[in-house]
Amino acid sequence: MLCVTLSLRPSPGLRTGVLALALLAPSLVLLSMFTYWPVIGVTLRSLVEQRFGQEPSWGFGNFARLEADPHFSKAVGNTVLYALGTILPSIALALGFALALRTQTRLVAVLRTILLMPQLIPLVAAAALFVFIFLPGGGLLDYYLAKLGRPATNWLGSPDLALGAIIAITIWKNTGYYMLFFLAGLAGIPADYTEAALIDGAGLFTRLRRITIPLLGPTFGFVTVIALVNTLVQIDHVIVMTGGGPSDSTNMILYYIYQQAEQNLDAGLASAATVVCVGGLLAISVLALRSLERGIHYES
Amino acid sequence: MRMLTRAALALGIATSLMSGVAQAATEIDFFFPVPVQGKLAVEMTRLVDAFNASQSDVHATAVYTGAYDDTNLKTRAAIQAGKPPAVVLMSANFIREYVITNAATDLSALIAKDGLTDQAFIERFFPAVRQNAMENGHVYGVPFQNSTPILYYNTDAFKEVGLDPEKPPVTWQEWVDAAKKLTKRDGTTITRAGLELISSYDTLGWVTSGLAMSNGGDYYNRGWGGEVYYNTPSTIGAVQFMDDLVHKHHVMPEGVNDANAVANAFFSGRAAMIVNSTGVLGFVRDNMKLPFKVAFIPRAIRNAAPIGGASLLIPTGNTPERQAAAWKLISYLTSPEVDGGWSRFTGYFAPRMAAYDLPEMKEYLAKNPDAKVAVDQLAYATPWFATFNTVGVRKAIEDQIQAVLSGKAKVPEAMEAAQKAANELLRPYVEQTALKLPQ
Repeated sequence: MLCVTLSLRPSPGLRTGVLALALLAPSLVLLSMFTYWPVIGVTLRSLVEQRFGQEPSWGFGNFARLEADPHFSKAVGNTVLYALGTILPSIALALGFALALRTQTRLVAVLRTILLMPQLIPLVAAAALFVFIFLPGGGLLDYYLAKLGRPATNWLGSPDLALGAIIAITIWKNTGYYMLFFLAGLAGIPADYTEAALIDGAGLFTRLRRITIPLLGPTFGFVTVIALVNTLVQIDHVIVMTGGGPSDSTNMILYYIYQQAEQNLDAGLASAATVVCVGGLLAISVLALRSLERGIHYES
Repeated sequence: MRMLTRAALALGIATSLMSGVAQAATEIDFFFPVPVQGKLAVEMTRLVDAFNASQSDVHATAVYTGAYDDTNLKTRAAIQAGKPPAVVLMSANFIREYVITNAATDLSALIAKDGLTDQAFIERFFPAVRQNAMENGHVYGVPFQNSTPILYYNTDAFKEVGLDPEKPPVTWQEWVDAAKKLTKRDGTTITRAGLELISSYDTLGWVTSGLAMSNGGDYYNRGWGGEVYYNTPSTIGAVQFMDDLVHKHHVMPEGVNDANAVANAFFSGRAAMIVNSTGVLGFVRDNMKLPFKVAFIPRAIRNAAPIGGASLLIPTGNTPERQAAAWKLISYLTSPEVDGGWSRFTGYFAPRMAAYDLPEMKEYLAKNPDAKVAVDQLAYATPWFATFNTVGVRKAIEDQIQAVLSGKAKVPEAMEAAQKAANELLRPYVEQTALKLPQ
């Protein structure tokens, strides 16, 4: 293909255009089929009001029903709490671990591997494990807490604690992964800066605040967006551990969408929720990247 | 010539056995769930292999599809994609929704080919399972595995507190009295619960419906999918009973306890009595180290236990050829021998009554009196909750009961909210049926 295009020798601009199109075509076809078309399809579907036994009609009725549904507001609230509760601590921990483990020794390599381990376990498998860790009374957690004199706690069965338990697993699962990005970011900071600061007598905290964190700007931006997307799409453990309960206290937007689409067979409501959720995520990602970028020092 | 055909047939069977692909046989797929704990998937695969070996017209592939809800989801997706499975083992309370949405094949024609009427066919099965298999006098599902909730109790614990293990509680009053005696505390913490009920989604609705029906109620409209009776004295009383177990008698731990937590508590002696499906009898036998017995669910006004379990249905969109092949598999799986064998393996009772006339079944019941209790309780079994939008309507009351059990809501207000939420979910159907009046 390439040879043919080159041997024909049309004008250089056309040639690169055709070549580019030919090279991009496979991904374009796949993207259109599996990304663009579904996006358009869901958006269209969210505008079709179809209730049992009635002719479908166009309109914004699904969005009105969505807004009136207390389960949806609950799911949105939970997702926001879940996002704040997982993103901030896991990024702080990831940065801490990256700073502590940035040197190259054998011990550090072992420690890094240990921290990355949770990332290698599929979330479903991890959730199935944690079900037994959290078992009230007989679980691993309660077993050790009992030795400290703490009574049995119904971690996953209490509306006050269940979301916290879900958040804890997510932090445990993701921190090591984010640490990798921070390690890469740290490796990109030239040693000269730190040396110069050291000569000037800057303390550890000053160096962190004035050099390391500002220069990690792009990493923060990237990790924040990844973490945001994760809070929306990683709900395997919710399904395995609580099914969104007790009383919807761990229900998330994505699980709500699933419930509407598959349990209540309400494609319109599910599509509307999807549109709202993806739209919201897009807006937040753009805002997050923008505001972070303002403080980012990209290397020229 | 005939010899040749036979030889070819034999070769065909041989190849099909070796490669797993039959040549002349109709290929069908069979979706099956494993809704309870235990090694059911392995046994089901074995059964389907035996079916394939028993004849050469049909080759069935068993596809494990998760829990009941997952199986429903995958079946719906397959129907939408235009590739419905030939047979699905479907949670029996979803059949009504499949009929409402025209997704289940009316089995009358297939039954008629066997020379039976729908009524004569369904009378082969226990009365309690018939309602969930039929709509408007037509059979849509063939019952295969059924269960009721049953009381499991730790006989050592009974002896320890001076209760007679041969005399399990029969009324709610006796149930509470026994639970109080059996409960052990360390300060205010329960170290052994007198009683634990499964209160996670799905099972909670099932258990509650049984308690409400025992308390005199109907819980839902059995003949039409547009009404539920949540805000009624019978249901309010049943939920108050559960609330009291936690917050008044302090014999049950607060909050939601899922099937894992409850089974684990029972196995380790941290719960003296539990309510669980008869379908997990095999699982409990395998895992419970302490001696235990089973008994009827104690009664308030009358004995009642809701049916659970699954029926075989043929989704719409299958060709007549595939339907006939599906019917062969269904007939095989629900034959007294196979259904009885499945019952002995799992602990589900066999809905096919004739299964209990077989000598191996009689022998099994004589050896396992606990399995006999499950069968005996069938005399009091009630149909399974089935409405339009079953899962959502079920969740409407479950959310509220979970709040009650966690001390976050009071029963009367909670049931009012549950009724309101359920009515809202049922409204589209109600408007198109009961409230759609002649113009």
